[in-house]
Amino acid sequence: MLNKSIVRLAIPVAAGALVLTACGGDDDGGDGGGGGTTYKIAFQGPLSGTNVALGENMENGIQLAINEANGSGDYDFTVEYVAADDQGVETQATAAAQSAIDDQDVMAVVGPAFSGPANVSAPLYAQAMLPAVSSSATDPTLTEDGKFATFLRAVPNDNAQGLAMADFLAAQDGIESVMIVDDVTPYGEGLAEVAESEMTAAGLSVERQSVPADTVDYSGAARTVTEAGVDALIYAGYYEALGPFAIRLQEAGYEGIRISGDGSNDDEFINLAGDAAEGWHLTCPCTDATENEGTAAFAETYEAEFGLAPGTYSAESYDVTNMIIEAMAELGGDVSREALYQQLAGTEYEGLTKTFAFDENGEFTNTAIFMYQVEDGVRGYLGGVDELVGG
Amino acid sequence: MSLSDIWDVLVLGVVLGSLYAVIAIGYTLVYGVLQLLNFAHSEVFMAGGFGGVIALTIFEPATDPSGLQSALYVLLGILGGALLGGLVAFGLEKGAYRPLRRRHASRLIFLITAIGASFFLYNLAGKMFGRYPMPMPTMYENKQVFEVFGTSVNVTQLLIVVAAVLMLLTVDFVVNRTKMGSGIRAVAQDPEVASLMGVDIDKVVSRTFVLGGVMGGVAGFLFGTNLQVEYTMGFLPGITAFAAAVLGGIGNVRGAMLGGLTLGVVEAFTVEWFGDAWRYAGAFAVLVLVLMFRPTGILGERVGRTA
Amino acid sequence: MTAGVTAPKVPSAAKLRKRSWYQQPRWHRLFALVVTALVLAQVTGAQGTRGDLFAALEENFSGGAVWGWLGLAVAIWLVREFAHELLGRYTSRVKEEAGRPAERPGDLTPSGGFSPAAAPVWLPALLARTVRFVTDVVRGQRLYRWGSMAALLGLLIVLPLMVSTFWQQVMVDQIGMFVLVAIGLNVVVGWAGMLDLGFIAFFAIGAYSSAFWTGGLPVEPPVELNNFLVIPIAVLTCLVAGVLLGAPTLRLRGDYLAIVTLGFHEIVYLTAKNWTEFTGGSRGAPQLDRFSVDLGFWSYEWELDPRPYYWLQLAFVVVVLLLFVRLEHSRVGRAWTAIREDEVAAAATGVDTVRFKLLAFAIGASTSGIAGVIYASKLGFINPEMFVLLLSVLALSYVVFGGMGSIPGVLIGTAVLVWLPEYLRDTVDPQDRYMYLGGLLVVMMIYRPQGLLPSRRRQRELRMAEEGSGSADALGARPGGAQA
Repeated sequence: MLNKSIVRLAIPVAAGALVLTACGGDDDGGDGGGGGTTYKIAFQGPLSGTNVALGENMENGIQLAINEANGSGDYDFTVEYVAADDQGVETQATAAAQSAIDDQDVMAVVGPAFSGPANVSAPLYAQAMLPAVSSSATDPTLTEDGKFATFLRAVPNDNAQGLAMADFLAAQDGIESVMIVDDVTPYGEGLAEVAESEMTAAGLSVERQSVPADTVDYSGAARTVTEAGVDALIYAGYYEALGPFAIRLQEAGYEGIRISGDGSNDDEFINLAGDAAEGWHLTCPCTDATENEGTAAFAETYEAEFGLAPGTYSAESYDVTNMIIEAMAELGGDVSREALYQQLAGTEYEGLTKTFAFDENGEFTNTAIFMYQVEDGVRGYLGGVDELVGG
Repeated sequence: MSLSDIWDVLVLGVVLGSLYAVIAIGYTLVYGVLQLLNFAHSEVFMAGGFGGVIALTIFEPATDPSGLQSALYVLLGILGGALLGGLVAFGLEKGAYRPLRRRHASRLIFLITAIGASFFLYNLAGKMFGRYPMPMPTMYENKQVFEVFGTSVNVTQLLIVVAAVLMLLTVDFVVNRTKMGSGIRAVAQDPEVASLMGVDIDKVVSRTFVLGGVMGGVAGFLFGTNLQVEYTMGFLPGITAFAAAVLGGIGNVRGAMLGGLTLGVVEAFTVEWFGDAWRYAGAFAVLVLVLMFRPTGILGERVGRTA
Repeated sequence: MTAGVTAPKVPSAAKLRKRSWYQQPRWHRLFALVVTALVLAQVTGAQGTRGDLFAALEENFSGGAVWGWLGLAVAIWLVREFAHELLGRYTSRVKEEAGRPAERPGDLTPSGGFSPAAAPVWLPALLARTVRFVTDVVRGQRLYRWGSMAALLGLLIVLPLMVSTFWQQVMVDQIGMFVLVAIGLNVVVGWAGMLDLGFIAFFAIGAYSSAFWTGGLPVEPPVELNNFLVIPIAVLTCLVAGVLLGAPTLRLRGDYLAIVTLGFHEIVYLTAKNWTEFTGGSRGAPQLDRFSVDLGFWSYEWELDPRPYYWLQLAFVVVVLLLFVRLEHSRVGRAWTAIREDEVAAAATGVDTVRFKLLAFAIGASTSGIAGVIYASKLGFINPEMFVLLLSVLALSYVVFGGMGSIPGVLIGTAVLVWLPEYLRDTVDPQDRYMYLGGLLVVMMIYRPQGLLPSRRRQRELRMAEEGSGSADALGARPGGAQA
């Protein structure tokens, strides 16, 4: 009888726990600022689940932009932040999108962060005429024929990145064979496919492997790469999986050129892989916030605010949010979802990282890709791929 | 494929398989005494991984450790994993399963409780330690130790296999040769008669959980050394180890070892021939095939009968 | 050492029974409560931060919350230990009062009248008795029963008009879908007593056949069909898949069946993920057709608005339920009950167990297939990550949570468990939602293992199992080793 009665007593405790947490939930209201009407900007992205790190990077960037806008006093409206967590998975995407749409004060959405959820959410946004500006969904098909009426992509797509990888490799001496490993996620497969066709076009011999992101042992994959004896390796996937893979590759003694895309362009990759991260090239449509003159100030405030350096897509999300706020201001007092979309679609905004402009399908017009390389435990910024190849 | 290729793959398979074997023992022991699919064992395994990280974070390893230091760190990690794994398994039994046993709940109720506990535990771990993967602190330089037929074996691989073999021998000894083991076997054969004979069933069950938990915890630490530690890390190895236990004949300790090794090797060859993407398809295909011809697994079931 | 497998020299029985002070159950209880409090302090505490392993722990233990929890635990312990008798007397009086018969409305008056002083006793008792009285009346009368059914249906029809679009989406995308899946799974687990841990595989097969036959996959189908016409095909496909899975596994008992169904799910999932030429791989199949009706003179197309989907779904659920209620009490249903309660006895008395088990698999699978078709066309996009293993495990817990074998139970259980995480989205840190779900499952199984609304037959089986005669399902003997 002992334990039964203990558990019986645990019930009120558990009930109390629920009540307490229910009370302690909301405490982050809007914090003063410009006054007047309040507009909300939502962020749809992974705020929980396995890809939460990327989501937090972006969330912080957005929040910083909103705080600065409210604090500056330049605007006669207040901006408020709304989170719409989709965990980065498609099943949660409709609910997340709908929670943003239902809130009539939400005028624009930054996101969806990932391409898969974007496929599900974008039609809903289109129906609600709610502009959705993604700073990280890079699947090229999202903007095909402008199929999602209010979707704007504020980042070069995978085509640009795949092309940049091919250009970069083709410009190196003695590179003849390449192996492309994808992580069997929509992002990885998409990038791998583009890279494969671009490399083949560039006259390289290409092999393709798929290693799921949740693989329990990368030794087999590393073995395949070394056995194939390729001159270069491209990994299309996220840093969580690249970390252990890089370690196994190092142990297997692979010494060719190693490249990964924006999904791995995160300091966490170095943390996970340790020494094995040395020498990896990382492409990204994002500039290094700490490197460029214009973004250095941003990096400083960001670090002061959140206690860590800006990560992948932080600066881009900051830019996109500022662009939205700017567009709101240009509309004067008459901000509606549809008007805001029209304003954004025609905008040409000079951000910290790049100039934002969209074509008629909502595709980003700027296709600059930048190259990083890990050296001595830090991600070193090498510059734009165009310059590297040209020079 | 050449002979050296086969050796390469075999080594990878044995390394992974010995980890599966150690985890599978946790499933099989609990199944033996309770006929319970302890789904939450994968969370015990996860806790072991965190235990290792915690222990090694507290006693920060030096950057360039000597051989003795390395051995010490490894031992520390193993202890941390074993401790946390055993603790979680113990708490699981006390908090979730014992109240159910007292009311003679059906097995499905146990299963759902295990599922619920698994959800609770891994999300709690994610909440407490963050929901992102973390590397195991470096304890040694992972260099090649020796070569077998042209296949190099590195420190991690050797460590995993040696630790696993030692644990398997210990468990086999404990179950078959000690007083505690005869208690476990007695309860597995017939709990009612065992209790009439004076076996304190609660104690036996509790100790079985702790034994399985310690194994699972150490396996979690070793797994974390080989890959990385994350709050969701338990799920897939847990499922595979569960399959391994069933393959060998659930409830049968030696069966679990055999099943684990078999699945590890099958996975390694599947990866070699069909690619990493089909890893689990190969494992489960073998499982289904074996079960079609031997419905109770390779060695048949139950702890009690084989010993 | 193991306590007394063979206990040699026992000094005296009395000495064995003697315990030190700390071994008394009272202190055990205190210890358990303190541990619970510490765990709850973590559960409700801070989120872990990147780069600092112990940040959350430090914060949880330095704040006041942990002391609050400990205080609460000790308070509960004190009440339990020192006011136990008082409480016991009170509850027994309430129980006694609540136990009085209530056959006519007049019987509801408390035994001692409505005296305010005794209100703590008769008030809860009155509540319980009124509920019992009303349910008795409703259960007893055919008219009431049909009337309440109609009222419930009416309520369900107008429900989406009363909630926000967000909840409409949740109702269609999640609650409605899983209700259909759970109804199917209930046939396999609740009625036929077979443990299926891979049920979402059929859901996936339904969704992918829908995508295939409407031309949404990379391969061209022989003919492109309307979504409504796909339903029978999807049902047929799932039926075949159900039999294919069932046939080789019929020899297997409970737990072996569980792992094989789990493996089946994994293989279906891997196929969907890796056979890119056919399924579109991990990027899935976008832009699927939606439901549409074109009768020449009248046409309608289901679009993004979730409500028409809801009503369509409701119609399917009602039709399936009507069929299944008939099935439950038919020869087939009785055969399943027999197999569930004792397979050997059933076979001995002439029940064709192979046929009926296959039938259960096939029927359950096809219901899930219907859900898959609706799901694919509602979302307009499918990919393998929508059919992960975790969902199969969750689906099983929905069924058991509601009350296996009982249709109203399964409906309510699924609705509650799917609704809960969505509700918690705004009340707790959204990342913690599934932790609370898991905790709820454990607590529920400990206190109410029969589920929210168990079927009567099932309840009796469970009780028999508790008393030690027979097992509660055909999954083999109950977990052993419990001597209270």
